[in-house]
Amino acid sequence: MKFSNYILAAAFSVSLSSCEKFLDVQPKESVSDEQTIFDVTSATEAVRGIYNAFASGSYYGTTFQSIGYLSGDNIQWTGSQSQVQEFINHNVRADNPTISSAWGQIYVAINRANNVIEKVPALQDPHVSEDNKNQLLGEAYFLRALAYFDLVRTWGGVPLILKPTKTAADNSGIARSTKQETYAQVLNDLNKAEALLPVATNRYRATVKTVWALKARYYLYQGDWANAESYATKVISDVTNYQLKSPYSSFFANGARGTVESVFEIYYNGTTETNGHGGQWLPQTLGGTRQWAPNDAFVALVNTTAIGGNRSVLVAKDNQNRWYGTLYGSTTSSGSYVIRIAELFLIRAEARAQQNVLTGSNGALFDLNAVRARAGLDASTATKQSDVLLAIENERRVEFAFEPHRWFDLVRTNRAAAVLGVTDTTKFVLPLPNQQILLDPALKQNPGYN
Amino acid sequence: MKKYVLTGLLLLSVLSLIFAQKIEPLINSTLNGRVLDRKSNLPLSGADIQIKGTTHEVVADNEGRFNFRTGQKFPYILIVSHVGYETQEVTVTSNTIEIQLKETSKGLEEVVVVGYGTSKRKNLVGAVTKVNASELRDIPAGGFDAQLQGKAAGLQTTTTTGVPGESVTVRLRGATSINADNTPLYVIDGVFVNSTSLQTVSTGGKSTSPIADINPADIESVEVLKDAEASALYGSRGANGVIIVTTKRGNFSDGTRINAQASHGYAWAPPLWKLTTGPEHATLVNEYYANIGGKQPFTGDVWNPAASSARGTPELQKTYDRLGEAFHTANLSSYNLSVASGNKATRFYLGAGYDNQESILRPISFDRATFKFNIDHKISSIVQIGSSNTLTRTHRNQGRAGDGPAGGILQAALHTPTYLPPTNDQGVLVGRAGFDNLTLLLQYYDVNAVSLRYIGNVYADVQILPDLKFRTSWGVDYDNYKESEYWNSMLIAGSPSGDATSSISDNASWVNEQTLTYRKKLGKHNFGILVGNTLQSNTYERTFLDGKGFANNSFTKISSASVITGTQNWSQNTLASFFGKVDYNFNDKYIINASLRADGSSKFGPERKWGYFPSVGAAWRVKQEKFLQDVDVISDLKLRASYGITGNQNGIGDFASQGLWTGGSSYKDTAGIAPQQLANDNLQWEKTSQFNIGADVSFFNGRLSLEANYYYKYTSNGLLQLPRPATTGFSTYWSNAAEISNKGFELTINSVNIQNKNFTWSTNFNVAQNINKIEKLASPLQYGSRNLILLQQGSPMYSFYLYKQLYVDPQTGNAIYQKADGTQGMNPKTSDKQIMGSVWPKFFGGLGNDLTFGNFDFNIFFSFQYGNKTYNHNRFFGEGGGARDAARVIFASDLARWQKPGDITDVPKADGVNVNNYLDAGGRWLEDGSFVRLRNVTLGYSFPKTFVKKIGLRNIRLYVTGSNLFLITKYSGPDPESSANSNQNQPGIDLGTPPQPRSVQFGINVGI
Repeated sequence: MKFSNYILAAAFSVSLSSCEKFLDVQPKESVSDEQTIFDVTSATEAVRGIYNAFASGSYYGTTFQSIGYLSGDNIQWTGSQSQVQEFINHNVRADNPTISSAWGQIYVAINRANNVIEKVPALQDPHVSEDNKNQLLGEAYFLRALAYFDLVRTWGGVPLILKPTKTAADNSGIARSTKQETYAQVLNDLNKAEALLPVATNRYRATVKTVWALKARYYLYQGDWANAESYATKVISDVTNYQLKSPYSSFFANGARGTVESVFEIYYNGTTETNGHGGQWLPQTLGGTRQWAPNDAFVALVNTTAIGGNRSVLVAKDNQNRWYGTLYGSTTSSGSYVIRIAELFLIRAEARAQQNVLTGSNGALFDLNAVRARAGLDASTATKQSDVLLAIENERRVEFAFEPHRWFDLVRTNRAAAVLGVTDTTKFVLPLPNQQILLDPALKQNPGYN
Repeated sequence: MKKYVLTGLLLLSVLSLIFAQKIEPLINSTLNGRVLDRKSNLPLSGADIQIKGTTHEVVADNEGRFNFRTGQKFPYILIVSHVGYETQEVTVTSNTIEIQLKETSKGLEEVVVVGYGTSKRKNLVGAVTKVNASELRDIPAGGFDAQLQGKAAGLQTTTTTGVPGESVTVRLRGATSINADNTPLYVIDGVFVNSTSLQTVSTGGKSTSPIADINPADIESVEVLKDAEASALYGSRGANGVIIVTTKRGNFSDGTRINAQASHGYAWAPPLWKLTTGPEHATLVNEYYANIGGKQPFTGDVWNPAASSARGTPELQKTYDRLGEAFHTANLSSYNLSVASGNKATRFYLGAGYDNQESILRPISFDRATFKFNIDHKISSIVQIGSSNTLTRTHRNQGRAGDGPAGGILQAALHTPTYLPPTNDQGVLVGRAGFDNLTLLLQYYDVNAVSLRYIGNVYADVQILPDLKFRTSWGVDYDNYKESEYWNSMLIAGSPSGDATSSISDNASWVNEQTLTYRKKLGKHNFGILVGNTLQSNTYERTFLDGKGFANNSFTKISSASVITGTQNWSQNTLASFFGKVDYNFNDKYIINASLRADGSSKFGPERKWGYFPSVGAAWRVKQEKFLQDVDVISDLKLRASYGITGNQNGIGDFASQGLWTGGSSYKDTAGIAPQQLANDNLQWEKTSQFNIGADVSFFNGRLSLEANYYYKYTSNGLLQLPRPATTGFSTYWSNAAEISNKGFELTINSVNIQNKNFTWSTNFNVAQNINKIEKLASPLQYGSRNLILLQQGSPMYSFYLYKQLYVDPQTGNAIYQKADGTQGMNPKTSDKQIMGSVWPKFFGGLGNDLTFGNFDFNIFFSFQYGNKTYNHNRFFGEGGGARDAARVIFASDLARWQKPGDITDVPKADGVNVNNYLDAGGRWLEDGSFVRLRNVTLGYSFPKTFVKKIGLRNIRLYVTGSNLFLITKYSGPDPESSANSNQNQPGIDLGTPPQPRSVQFGINVGI
């Protein structure tokens, strides 16, 4: 009997003593959040992580972009879900999944930027130079600026989160800042980025030129025409690196990427980093579902030679005679265009037109016609300031047909009522996601959406 | 059974001790006896015969014979006992005797497997339902989980699809958790088996059932442990109940029994969806355009389905039947062969089986080959060793039979408008409406999954002292699950140039267990002590490859692809447990049990790994009291009560409590890192306390028995991916944040209505009610397509949150909705949504009748459910009022739409989707999912024993069984149990799923 008791005792004591060790299992696919940004390599990887958040399907990968163009007047929805139709009808409900996923993903990007902004200045790695640190920080500031810019133009003032989330209690219960405060934060970050980033050209990552380009757009939205013009000029004047690539299709067709047209685009390699945006646009024969498609009005418009010019390549017919959009030609690897040089021309055109400088090489028409010429169109016949502004508005509609501009343009120029028939000004900003209002009592819904 | 083995063991050990001491016994008398069943006069093998006042005990052999050579002199008294029979004392006066045993009141002596042991039914304290294999054997289903529908009160089994081998929703006494698992723990031959699907390819939200890896033919019995007393010993996962499966074993000292079974049958679809014809579809589309003031497309005198206008008048449209192409009569076949045998020292069971079940929906099929080997061997009178082994290979020809669109079979077959031809103008097969072309899809479907699974354990029992037993065992559940897909370039998922995937998942878990049992009877006091520990570990690994860009469709393996990507995953969790149990039984009258289990889980925060799960239960066998002993009409009465706490950690991430960064956030071909998960150092066990009170009563010598239970379960620290405000940069984090209650009543009635030599008729009936309620949840959660399902504090889980349509205005044809402020009107806002019911039935159960007349046996079994709601999502899409024209089928039910003032109908005017009359999440499509299903009807014929013996066999039984032959329901779809998604938080949404088939099978059983 002693022997059996011994076995028993041994079995129990062995299991007891090794228990704590037995119960300690660590992951292999992830690392603990206590060891994150600690040297130059991990800091660089963390910055790439921010871009990765922008590349997500919920942000520049599809969803956020779709808000900008679906809410315009070029697109129809062929699927069955109301979440898309609501944008087209300008009757977005607070429980719309599109706004919820975009809102969430933008704050994911902000949290990643905040981690870099907090941790990189404290790096003690002897291998990291000040320039290197500055660049990483500058990129984080730029990306955070872009994120807040996208938030404020879509929803108005939002909670300003400037520190990384370390525990579950962090960064909630923070009330919305005003629209002005949010825009001020954007400018603040852009100024910091401008001071930190090198003068270089990189179409996939931020440099000081990328900051200038976003500043041009920022000032356009603010109605600061002089600054918009001057920052646009800084980029446009770099003609070795930035040109209107001709013909129009050459910046996106046949898998083109990173062309001189591009100031900032999100890169996708098509395998490990994929852009599913094309899947929404392309017909079945090309691997997509054609859930959204150019509407009849836009097809007519872009196929009108005097309006669309060679931009008619934006639409094509599938094997069942249905029109589809071609801008995102691949279901995996198409780039996502954030800022193109054509936009800077049209920003400057608008800024100059607003300052009533219409003709001459410093005039609005000069820039407008540059974009028209690339599309194979004759110079604009507009002469009056209001006509030039309208011509720019219409040019933007076709030039950026499937890029996220139309809705924001019509809202910032207060033209949504006239063009889209959206007379209820509360609709100019979208509702905050209903779930977020429920989760965080500090958040107040936009008027008209309760 | 085990009790019997134990007794045998005891006996042997006593004998061997006697022999070991080499005492030459003094022989004063010899006795040759025989034990028979009083009614049938057939020999009773395995009866225990003990000489009263001594430890001398023998076991009757196959022929019921036994003998004694003893020092006792005549007369002496024998105590004769046998499972299922009343124990008898017989005085022996001469050297031969024949003893007739009388069957006990039905079931009281039945041995029931409970946590780490067995118990006689009469002494059970907990709520346990035993289901014998014979009750399940004829029901055609992939796994035994599906066969359990209606068989145990409180066990709700929902077969959500007609695809064999796909997951079945099993809920015991409701659901306790939002994000941790709600499936009961399955323990097969002592191994805690994995019941989480390893499937990774998409079948439209559905997943496989790992339980289908078990061949039902190898199962001896299934025990369902319901209350805390019964399940607390399995503390770590007892919260959802425990289902213990005992597989077949041989018998010691028994001859060789060979069993062969073969069956073949056919399955066909019940009545399917009624669709509009081409002309009807076109009429509705024209009417829609007329209503919105648009141009009607179905005009002109030339039929041209592809044109956007002037496609020909509605009358010119043709109708294409795709459902008829997708569904077929399916073959079902099953073959099983087993050999069971045993001598005094060794017994074994050897089983082999093959099942092939086609789905009624092409091209899906499921087949399973199993090999089973169980063996037990007595090394000495003290030590017994044994092993249980199951090896299974399942193969699934899979198809997406759930949500779509790519590859969705019913999207192509059902949701494609009937007027659209399968070919384009050039005669080329084309997909329509964003779905695949059905013909191409069925022709090129190439999704296969092969699971190779081993479940086994080895054990050693050591009888340290006559009253003290030590057991150690090692168990393994290993599953290698391989999947491959090739999507032809002509299919959506494969366009433009083919897509192949290969995935190998590997799930290995082991469990090591030691128990020490002490059992002693001192006069009227009978008590037992059990202590034990277990260690468990589960490791999951997966390697996945995807290849795109094939030269052409002749190449289907990834090596030929131009773009290849891959992923690799690894995850592990461990569990260490210690437990103890004390049971005390006074004179078979008062029984009290108490247990405690401590579980440490690697998943939880460093200081929160350990959870403690106590339970206590008591039973009072009132019948044993004097005042009832003479009341003949009541043959047994027992009252039970129990309380205990059980835990849950299954289904949450292995590293759920840790703060993590991922390395997968690459950009521009270079690795990137990013925050992935917030830490929660306080993450801990979800705990469910359960109170159960019950009564077992039987009348008329056990002919009528009733079991009733009332329970109240309260789950606290509910594991939840608690939503965090998005401003944190995280959407959720793992937290103990929910509280849920389940309470209910269960009633089981068994009745032997008629019992005589040539005719028996027995009835079994069970019904259960469960009321589920979320007691605490900080903010509501929404799940499912179009957020149809709401989980919110104060309501049952899985409530449908919809716009309630009140009526269609007969004047305008517009749908009028209930508003939150109590008014009625059009265009409801989000806040006007309301809960319109849930997936929970008000009650559910089963009713069976078993009849035997002569050599015939007949069984008819119904299952039923009342008061549950099913969202007919197919119908939502099918009633688009013509607005979806070429994008979606129109159901025939849409023809009832309002057309002119005065029309009374609940289908509004056809004027567009996503507007007032055709809202997403409209309440119009929520239907009553109550049903009564003829689950099974079987007629069998056993050849007469005399004839069978003449040809050298033991038995021959021929049978024909029909399954699901009719269904009574108000539900307008083919099957109210259908649900598109296997996700536990998205039940009751019927979309794109084939109904359960109707089937007839013919079979033969031969015993040698």
